[in-house]
Amino acid sequence: MSKFNFPFIKETNELSNLRKEVREFITTCINNNEITQSPDAWVFSADPSFSKKLGSKGWLGMSFPKEYGGHQRTALERYVVTEELLSSGAPVAAHWIADRQSGSQILRYGNEKQKSSIIPRITAGECFFAIGMSEPDSGSDLASVKTKATKTKNGWKLEGRKIWSTGAHLAHYMIVLARTSPASEKNRHEGLSQFLVDLSLPNVKITGIPDMTGQRHFNETLFDNVELSDDSLLGEEGKGWKQVVGELALERSGPERFLSHFTLLDSFINEFRNSLIHSGTKIVGKLISEIQTLRRMSFSVASMLQNGESPETQAAFVKELGNKFEKMMIETLREFSNIVPLHEWPNQLQNLFEDATLRIPSNSLRGGTTEIMKGIIARQLGLR
Amino acid sequence: MIEELEIILETTSKILQKHVNHSLRQNIVSENTDILNLWNEIEKNGLPKISVKEKFGGYEIPFFSILPLIKIVNNHGTPLPLSETILSNYILSESDINAPNGIVTFATNTKNLQIKNNMISGEILSVPYLNLTKNLLIVHEFNNVKKAILIDEINGEIIHKKNFLAEPRYDIKVENLNIAEMKPIKNNIDFNFLGAILRSAQMIGAMEKVVDLSINYCSERKQFGRTLSKFQAIQHQISEMAVELSASSAALLTITELGLGEKNSNDTAILKIRAGFAAGKIIAISHQVHGAIGFTKEYELSYFTRNLNSWRNDFGNESFWEEFLGKRFLEKNNKNLWEYLT
Repeated sequence: MSKFNFPFIKETNELSNLRKEVREFITTCINNNEITQSPDAWVFSADPSFSKKLGSKGWLGMSFPKEYGGHQRTALERYVVTEELLSSGAPVAAHWIADRQSGSQILRYGNEKQKSSIIPRITAGECFFAIGMSEPDSGSDLASVKTKATKTKNGWKLEGRKIWSTGAHLAHYMIVLARTSPASEKNRHEGLSQFLVDLSLPNVKITGIPDMTGQRHFNETLFDNVELSDDSLLGEEGKGWKQVVGELALERSGPERFLSHFTLLDSFINEFRNSLIHSGTKIVGKLISEIQTLRRMSFSVASMLQNGESPETQAAFVKELGNKFEKMMIETLREFSNIVPLHEWPNQLQNLFEDATLRIPSNSLRGGTTEIMKGIIARQLGLR
Repeated sequence: MIEELEIILETTSKILQKHVNHSLRQNIVSENTDILNLWNEIEKNGLPKISVKEKFGGYEIPFFSILPLIKIVNNHGTPLPLSETILSNYILSESDINAPNGIVTFATNTKNLQIKNNMISGEILSVPYLNLTKNLLIVHEFNNVKKAILIDEINGEIIHKKNFLAEPRYDIKVENLNIAEMKPIKNNIDFNFLGAILRSAQMIGAMEKVVDLSINYCSERKQFGRTLSKFQAIQHQISEMAVELSASSAALLTITELGLGEKNSNDTAILKIRAGFAAGKIIAISHQVHGAIGFTKEYELSYFTRNLNSWRNDFGNESFWEEFLGKRFLEKNNKNLWEYLT
């Protein structure tokens, strides 16, 4: 069992300098009250004006080619920027999906028109995306999607329903996985295709679904015979499964899988440093060891992406470990209330803690459940 | 040097594949000629002195670079203290002591040690494989000076510990025992850190074997009309083993690449915490998926899980290093956590 390696990648001085630059920028924004910090910010805390600022700083679409307005920087540089944004709880939800996966997906599979019309806008922080994978009857079993695209004289007709489409109400586009021909008996993964769908088109209806905390980020997106132009097809007809699997590797391995609630941990330690010195060194040490290992692994996956590898399995490892860490972290803080009772925590910290406690069940659902991650790993181990 | 190491790793694998089997592991005594033959083969290839300076007849490959070798040795379940010898010889060599030939073991702990007229008295504890050698390294601090002490002839009261775990271990009570060599240790050599790294690398080698054994067993064993590997409950348990193992391996690669500077000692703590935690999970799950056969002496799983249990307790368990790491951050630092981590 030594085939899943995570080579060690050193953070160079250039990367550390970039880190510093991003951190100073965020600190200034916070000090000037330009942004608010929140946990799980990449999911629901959208601030288009902040996204635009990041775009003008050159911190979106960082690894995209220059001809499409990108900056041709490395995946490692992008990694450093995302870590800084996540650890500070900055409002990044508006552009997150576009920058993380949709842009790369278009660059990899898109035609010239798709690339030149959309990528520069993503890079500028002006064009946002939602994910079009899950459906009311297709959650973990993604290959069972029923949304259907039928060939017409001028293009395609899209019919179906996508759900849990986080941020669709703010997004300009959605990459939709749809059936373009029936699944073959042998292989259900055949006959799927990806479409680049403009959400402002007629007959697209987006309805919000409040999550259990009351926040709005979830949506149901209805495509009621939406007319799509011929060049809405993203990539190759019938190759949607292979494409979507690659997209998921981008989605799963990033630092948002273990830094979603870092602001809580940071405030917790700043508040209770003195009590922790007496009765919490062990828990702090445990948390540090987990975060550092995860950062180390996630950084390694970024370098695999940089080298053009397809680290789908390694991404599943990172996601699985990251999800476990976040749950463990919240449980650890809860147990600390034995030392300082919860009702004596400062209000803001109590709120952060309660919010995180409510949100944490979603971390091992979004981007693929624990069960799916373990299934992917088991397949690679030769068990399925 | 990398090429040289590759060749050494390949040769070692071949030797171990040829000589190591499960019956060898059940008879670890100096009278066993198979044990002696294996050691001679290992010594002929220069492995015990791989990290010893050239002037003392070694290969002088840095200790951190040879951690992959430690992994291989323990992946094969080699019932000889080669890992202990490599570390002991490295410390001796770094302390300018010419390492002896043969097996050299070390004391993991000591009690009431005293030195007078080049003689040592006190209790030397939990020494692995003392039945195979007379060479023993003790690292101890006297009057604020850390010293490497080499003993090459042991007499005194030797107690074979009951030791529930795998390898033979001994406690020794000595009085005025002759010291062969004693020299101060360089500042950059911390026995507890190096020991923690050694045990972690050993654990990772053994855990790789345990995961492989589990995969193979579950792919062959049939119950309810299908192989165990077809049950999702089993697949998920084995995936969990793989996840824990991959995190430990990542932590080990950090040390292999960066070595151990003052700045990187956090990485040692992280490695020992990660490997120790993973070992706990992997021991439990591997036995669970193996059923009763894994609990027998004749099946080889137990050799590896017993060793894992032993090594995760040496040189500080997870709690020890968690406290080390937490204290280091909380006490010596006013930075907030993120600044500290990056």
